[in-house]
Amino acid sequence: MDQLLQHLVNGLVLGGTYALLGIGLTLIFGLMSVVNFAHGEFYTLGAYAAFATLALAGLPFFAALLVAIAAGALLGAICERLLLRPLRGHSIDTIMLVMIGVWIAMQNAELLTWGGVARSIPHPFPTAPLTLGPLSIAPLRLFVVVTAAVIIALAWLGIHTTRLGTAMRATFQDRDTAALMGVPIGRIHTITFAFGSALAAAAGALLGPVFLAYPSMGDLASLKAFSVVILGGLGNLAGATLGGLLLGVAEELGAGYVSSGYRDAVGFVAIILVLMFRPAGLFARAERIG
Amino acid sequence: MIARAAVALGAGAALTAPWWVANPYHLHVLIMAAIFTILALSLNLLLGYTGQLSLGHAAFFGIGAYTSALLSLPPLEWSFWVALPAAAAASGLAGWAIGRLALKLRGAYFVLVTISFAGVISLVSINWMTLTNGPLGLPGVPAPALGPWALRTKTAYWYLVLSAAALAYLVCQRLVASRIGRALVALRENEPLAESVGIDGTRYLVLAAVVSAAMAGVGGSLYAHYTRFVSPEVFLFSYTVTMVIMVIAGGQGTLAGPVVGALLFTVLPEALREAVAWQWQMLAYGVVLVLCMFFLPRGIVPTVATAWRTARTAGGPPEMRSGSVGLFKMRRGSDTPESC
Amino acid sequence: MLKRLASTALVALMTLTLLPAGGSAQAPIKIGVIEPLSGPVAASGNYIRMGAEIARDWINARGGVNGRKVELVIEDNKSDPKEAASAAEKLIVRDKVPAIMGAWGSSMTLAAMPKLEEYGVPMVVETSSAASITKRGNPWVFRISPPSEMEALGLEQYVDRLGVKKADFLAVNTDWGRGSIQAFGDMLKKKGVQIGAAEFMEQAATDMNAQITKIKATGGDTLFLTTAVEQITLVLKQGQEQRLTRKIVTTGGSSSPTQLIKQAGAAAEGSYHIVFFMPWFPEAMPDAKLAKAFVDEWNKRGHPFEGLTEGFRGHDGIATIVEAIKTAGKDEPKAIQEALWKVSFTGVNGPIKFEKDGPAGKESGQSKPSIFVVQVRDGKVGLPDFMKK
Repeated sequence: MDQLLQHLVNGLVLGGTYALLGIGLTLIFGLMSVVNFAHGEFYTLGAYAAFATLALAGLPFFAALLVAIAAGALLGAICERLLLRPLRGHSIDTIMLVMIGVWIAMQNAELLTWGGVARSIPHPFPTAPLTLGPLSIAPLRLFVVVTAAVIIALAWLGIHTTRLGTAMRATFQDRDTAALMGVPIGRIHTITFAFGSALAAAAGALLGPVFLAYPSMGDLASLKAFSVVILGGLGNLAGATLGGLLLGVAEELGAGYVSSGYRDAVGFVAIILVLMFRPAGLFARAERIG
Repeated sequence: MIARAAVALGAGAALTAPWWVANPYHLHVLIMAAIFTILALSLNLLLGYTGQLSLGHAAFFGIGAYTSALLSLPPLEWSFWVALPAAAAASGLAGWAIGRLALKLRGAYFVLVTISFAGVISLVSINWMTLTNGPLGLPGVPAPALGPWALRTKTAYWYLVLSAAALAYLVCQRLVASRIGRALVALRENEPLAESVGIDGTRYLVLAAVVSAAMAGVGGSLYAHYTRFVSPEVFLFSYTVTMVIMVIAGGQGTLAGPVVGALLFTVLPEALREAVAWQWQMLAYGVVLVLCMFFLPRGIVPTVATAWRTARTAGGPPEMRSGSVGLFKMRRGSDTPESC
Repeated sequence: MLKRLASTALVALMTLTLLPAGGSAQAPIKIGVIEPLSGPVAASGNYIRMGAEIARDWINARGGVNGRKVELVIEDNKSDPKEAASAAEKLIVRDKVPAIMGAWGSSMTLAAMPKLEEYGVPMVVETSSAASITKRGNPWVFRISPPSEMEALGLEQYVDRLGVKKADFLAVNTDWGRGSIQAFGDMLKKKGVQIGAAEFMEQAATDMNAQITKIKATGGDTLFLTTAVEQITLVLKQGQEQRLTRKIVTTGGSSSPTQLIKQAGAAAEGSYHIVFFMPWFPEAMPDAKLAKAFVDEWNKRGHPFEGLTEGFRGHDGIATIVEAIKTAGKDEPKAIQEALWKVSFTGVNGPIKFEKDGPAGKESGQSKPSIFVVQVRDGKVGLPDFMKK
């Protein structure tokens, strides 16, 4: 029973971070129909930005998070303006291939800049775990989950209460009508991509200290993010959050009770099952179009 | 005309390759290009003609490679000529499974099912030690034997893969020109409309998936008997990505596109190996890819074909959008895949 | 009289041209190197490259081989067996190297091996641990790194002093990890040690909490860890978070205890590590002078200290090939292969001499490297108590 509880706790912590990765991608994938294979690279960018801020510049922990978010947003905006906007209207496959090119280029640029050695990112939290009976959780992980929750809540508020958010959702539902209503579509696309990338970078900055920063850390993150997006339904923020938590828990339980070797298979099988029986996502709501 | 001449020239060059190719290493690159041509053609069937992207294509490739390897190693030690069709059958079966799994799915969802399927197969190959020997791989896969001769030399193998590639091309061409091909194109262009005239979308998608997978399985078998070593790395996502690049950059929905793409993107990394220091190779590759898609978003073959046609008819009436599917016919418009 | 003078001068002139031109006009000796320089294990591949470059520079500074400079032709196998085979082919056919060192990972080495036989070029294997590499009957393979069985034997003498009664395993899900579990498991069983759980982690996995939770429940006293240093760091940290209290022994030699101390901090305290080079106290190595010089040169070049536990392999691999070329007297593949059997010298790790391994008539060469055990104590690397005499 102890093991079960510990697995659940592990799963929730992991799931919170998957959720953060997922909501950025669900916006990009859902709103812009961009199969963004470079999403994981923004995650990596966030981790290295945090490393640079903390280890090299010696600034406080929160500064690292802000720097990472800024870096993600900036690079995301540049990416959209330079690469995606001129290609708008082209087939989804062309754009996907461009993002694959960006993925390869970014990862190898990181390899060149930082070298292949994994970097440990320093953090101010004590290493001794907090204990609650038989359960253990590291203070850093608790912080990560709480921060992720705060960021998700802020993102949700941003999308649902601000004018910008409304404009985004309008573009999402019907681009042409939104354009007719005076929504600047081009700018919305740039902002959305920047926003999604910033969220990925935030996830990287939070998870970097938990694990390590190394150039290929984004590969698995991309695939997990896609799983979360599918589970939750395209463009569904709440769905992505719940989907992320679900994926984390499912993986932990699968690894704990079935086989650690097949851990990642849990995510894959989950996708297949969901798509077979509830293709719009587990938490599809009327708001989402198809 | 020019197209026919180009094809004849290419065929002539291919047939005499072992003589004019500078050294065995270049012949090795050509053999890999031929194997990837088969893979690209198979992916093109799914992507270019049904409009559905499969990002799990490495799974079919890998299943073919493993099947062929396992059947020709002890204790079974079957002949290559039996292992090859068996590999095609095994992959074809997997293709059927995908087709059935993704019954009603289209677009992005289909993509994700294919990724997940490939992911599961990859993990099985690593963990199911008794069948696949896991990460240790299967070394010593025998070379094919034609009667008393072993097709071990590069020259012999080149003719083998060349024949296979030519055969794959012919199969694609026949399929695309047939009723089935027209049905596939109809489904790609407008599925509800096609269904309304009685074309069963799912049935044709499954058919395309089976043929596509079987062809990829053949590619896998040829790969296994050439490199003589199969390990779970054949399921690497990077192989799928490479195939996708070849099809899209070459020009999806055309028949020459995958061939050009396969040739170009097999030669490119090797050329980079010689031209650029190892630190910059992959970065250069990524940049080339982005530039390629930027300036040739429809792919190389369609862009070249359009440019050629424009140059010839300079100012004449715009070309009719429908018509028979030919060598250089390109995919119409910019579709976004339908979600369900 | 004039004629005699002229002809003498002519003969003298001709004799002069027969003398060697001081080495610089002669073509360099090329040695191929295949390593993973990009991808998930890029760090290790690059350390090996750095070690190889030190060897090359030292040899050239001493005048090269038979008056000729050594040149390394370096290829990236991108952690992919197919690329390893392509790289081998290119090196042999295009660059015409008479010998190669590579290819780090066992599946990459296995994929390149058929090319060695096809063209008849020898390769010195510097890191791969799969037993099958030297058992496949490929007479062009010469390995200086220990297969997992040899490593396990190296630890056997210390098992009692370590006090291992019940052991668990956590290994990366590759040929190396699995081979290690097999080899160490067999060795421990022979010593009467109970085996608990054997868990795996994917190469790219970062969260091992599930596996650690399971291991916690077995009641074992020792955990054998086999994976790359990044994952070891993560396991140690996550183990600390879950309050895993037992002896940790890492195998494989690439665990770089220095890096673990830096990145895992207190979580690394008390852990034991099987290594093949002890850069913290080079005076304890078989050739103390060489080891110290290597460490100094490495530091002088500004390479990260933690890379030394792997970088030395690059040095020893190149040094081995160069020894063989010196013995053979020429840089011709078959001659080098024959000369490798006669090689007997001391590298950074220790004595290098090949013994026959594999099926009769087609044996590969396997050297018996030195194996050491170190421990992390008080935030520093030291010799374990039971090894101090």
